[in-house]
Amino acid sequence: MDAELYLDYNTPYHRLDARTKIIVFLCIFVGVLMFQDPRWLIPTLLLVLVQLFVSRSARNLQRIRYVLLVMSISSIVLWNFFASGTTPLFWVFDVESMYYAIGRTILIFSIVTMGVILISTTRNEELIMGMIKMGLPYRVGFAISTSLRLVPTVAASLMTISQAQRSRGLDLESGNIVQRVKKFLPLLVPVFISSIRNTNIFGMALESRGFGAREERTYYLQMQMTKADWAVLTFFFIYVAVSIWLNVAGYGKIVGLVRF
Amino acid sequence: MTEPAVAIHDLTYRYRGTKQNAIEGINLVLERGDFLVLMGPSGAGKSTLATCINGLIPHFHKGKLEGAVIVCGKNTRDHTVAQMAEDVGLVFQDFEAQLFSTSVELEVAFGPENFAVPREEIATRIDENLTYVGLADFRNRPPSTLSGGQKQKLAIAAVLALHPKVLVMDEPTTDLDPISKMGIFEITNRLRQRSDLTLLVVEHETEEVLQADRIALLKDGRLVKVGPAREILRDVDLIESLGLMPLGIPRFFKAIGFDDTAAAAELPLTPAEAEVAYRRGGWRISSAAYEAMVARETAVEQSFRAKTPLIHCCDLEFSYPNGVKALDGISLDIYPGDIVAIVGQNGSGKTTLAKHFNGLLLPTGGTITVNGKTTKEQGIFRLGQLVGYVFQNPDHQIFSETVYDEVSFGPRLRGLPADQIKARVTETLKAVGLEGTEEEDPFSMTKSGRQRVAVAAVLAVQPDVLILDEPTTGLDYREQRSMMDMVRRLNENGSTIIFITHHMWVVAEYARKVFVIKDGRLFLEGTTREVFSHERELLEASLRPPHFIQFTNRLGRTMLRPAELVECTEGGAA
Repeated sequence: MDAELYLDYNTPYHRLDARTKIIVFLCIFVGVLMFQDPRWLIPTLLLVLVQLFVSRSARNLQRIRYVLLVMSISSIVLWNFFASGTTPLFWVFDVESMYYAIGRTILIFSIVTMGVILISTTRNEELIMGMIKMGLPYRVGFAISTSLRLVPTVAASLMTISQAQRSRGLDLESGNIVQRVKKFLPLLVPVFISSIRNTNIFGMALESRGFGAREERTYYLQMQMTKADWAVLTFFFIYVAVSIWLNVAGYGKIVGLVRF
Repeated sequence: MTEPAVAIHDLTYRYRGTKQNAIEGINLVLERGDFLVLMGPSGAGKSTLATCINGLIPHFHKGKLEGAVIVCGKNTRDHTVAQMAEDVGLVFQDFEAQLFSTSVELEVAFGPENFAVPREEIATRIDENLTYVGLADFRNRPPSTLSGGQKQKLAIAAVLALHPKVLVMDEPTTDLDPISKMGIFEITNRLRQRSDLTLLVVEHETEEVLQADRIALLKDGRLVKVGPAREILRDVDLIESLGLMPLGIPRFFKAIGFDDTAAAAELPLTPAEAEVAYRRGGWRISSAAYEAMVARETAVEQSFRAKTPLIHCCDLEFSYPNGVKALDGISLDIYPGDIVAIVGQNGSGKTTLAKHFNGLLLPTGGTITVNGKTTKEQGIFRLGQLVGYVFQNPDHQIFSETVYDEVSFGPRLRGLPADQIKARVTETLKAVGLEGTEEEDPFSMTKSGRQRVAVAAVLAVQPDVLILDEPTTGLDYREQRSMMDMVRRLNENGSTIIFITHHMWVVAEYARKVFVIKDGRLFLEGTTREVFSHERELLEASLRPPHFIQFTNRLGRTMLRPAELVECTEGGAA
């Protein structure tokens, strides 16, 4: 089974330096926080979608489509509880709070998508290198990237295990959501146990190859900022600057919104 | 005299939380350039001893260590595992979990990077070591796309890149197909020529350890015997008594009385030696006896063919969603009451094929019927009642706190009344040789115990067909035998058995019929004897018969077991 998150394409986005991609991720993160009104969020959303398209990462986004769907629906519903407006729609839903909920959903979607793009286009080692070059200690960078690496491993073992249980007559496909979750629980025991076992071997393999043997460390992978990187960075710095300026100038707010 | 590469003095070790010593009173010295193989049954302490050498014991696994392990003058007690890594390389059995980089070259670079080797030097080491293990063309590939054998080669290259003086390999070939195994042993052989490298290999495969200088036999944590490899291997009785696999060739020659002649010290070990000894001894194969044996088999085969097939595949095709074609036009029939083996290289499509038999996977082309109906119309839930599937790794299956809960899971799901469930569990546990373990915790059992629980859990729904995916992997010879004897008993009681395996001797000994899969196609099929007579074709499918069968093939006949050749041999004592 193909559980790897990194997509081995050679798109212009893949060729960008890992540092650029991390900074772009942070820029969108900041930019998207500047606006409440979903209409003001449209440029950011478009910017995210363009990146998704250029980097050809949609495949990975599709894999988590159910997660995204559940997240979007619950976000739209829940934000209405935590905010209210002046024009009632029905029940707890007001026009203003609805706008706000949509805006928050766009925010979550954009950040998740940017994360997916980053992981889909950047190799683990590049990600570590990028973080180190930006000043993070090696061990911290390694820990972050290792936890990302665990996702596909756990997904793969969950897949094998659910097959093993289905062969024994466990029907995972029928029943309502509560019944399904209940049926899924027994699967988690073997998933945990095999993950712990794998992690143990992983730890031994790491140490056996001298992880942390010396204070200093060399890096085989080399990273070079190119003109394209600087161009992309310049663009996103302008984007962030404009977003912040608009925020300070009072644009992008929803009039009549009360948050609790 | 220079100091030895590895010196182990009175080593005793006990894992924290256990009552028994894992190893006890080990004294062993490896000179530089030595090649020692460590053998022993499960639980003998082989891996414990191996991990003592690079310091994982006592630093990673906490416990009580007495005595000393000195590697290249460094006491493991005073150095961290990472510090030892420059002197000792360790290759693990599990080739998936020990690789963690996203490209082959970065995997090799990881070790030297940790020791701050200059970048240019790392580049040289990557080239040098990937070429050495034959992976130079794969340097930009992600390791996850490599085959099992290639992954293990990569693990070796990654460790060698640190230029260790001692290389320890803990069962490096256990999960590999026969030819990938040979690839690893071929590398091992080249490594042993290097006078600067000391090798210590933990291994189950008796046939492959002929190349070693010395063999150390370990049992219950103690060294039983250390001696020259050929000498130890000739002692088939000792090896068998330890629960290890004795070589078929010396066992045969002992059985026909070679032992008593003056040439006892030259008891043949390899197929080539055996052929010479057999002819020189004046023995012949009686054609009449051989043909009678084959005729009996043909009669059985015909009686099977007269039945209606239980599983019928016609031009079966399967492609994964990402477009990779795993099965490409497989047509085969499996008859009720048969015991068949499916063999092939890692990644040839064996497991994918077997997963079609119980409807876990549905074909993307062609048809498969079980009991006359397609798997699609029956669905996995109903088919599971008919076709039981035991997964390769019992840990992917077991989740209950007691053996009873685990085994009764299937019957309970199918709504059996309580008293019947109880009877089923008792009956099934008896069938797998685990009577009276109902209240035990399956997770605390040995691997072979867990494997049996997994089989019992599948058997409890009383399927007609039982599929076993690598039932013998990770077990030692004695456990493998008792596992397969149990499978054979189930077959004799009427179950149809389909098993997937890499162990060719298991096929020779237990299968009546063999399907060889290569690149998603059915490459060879026939009775076990027919299939093993096609040695050259098997080689193309990365398979190889056991030494004993190779020897009889050289004599022009295919014998599956020493006993068969004893029965068909005439003449001798010339």
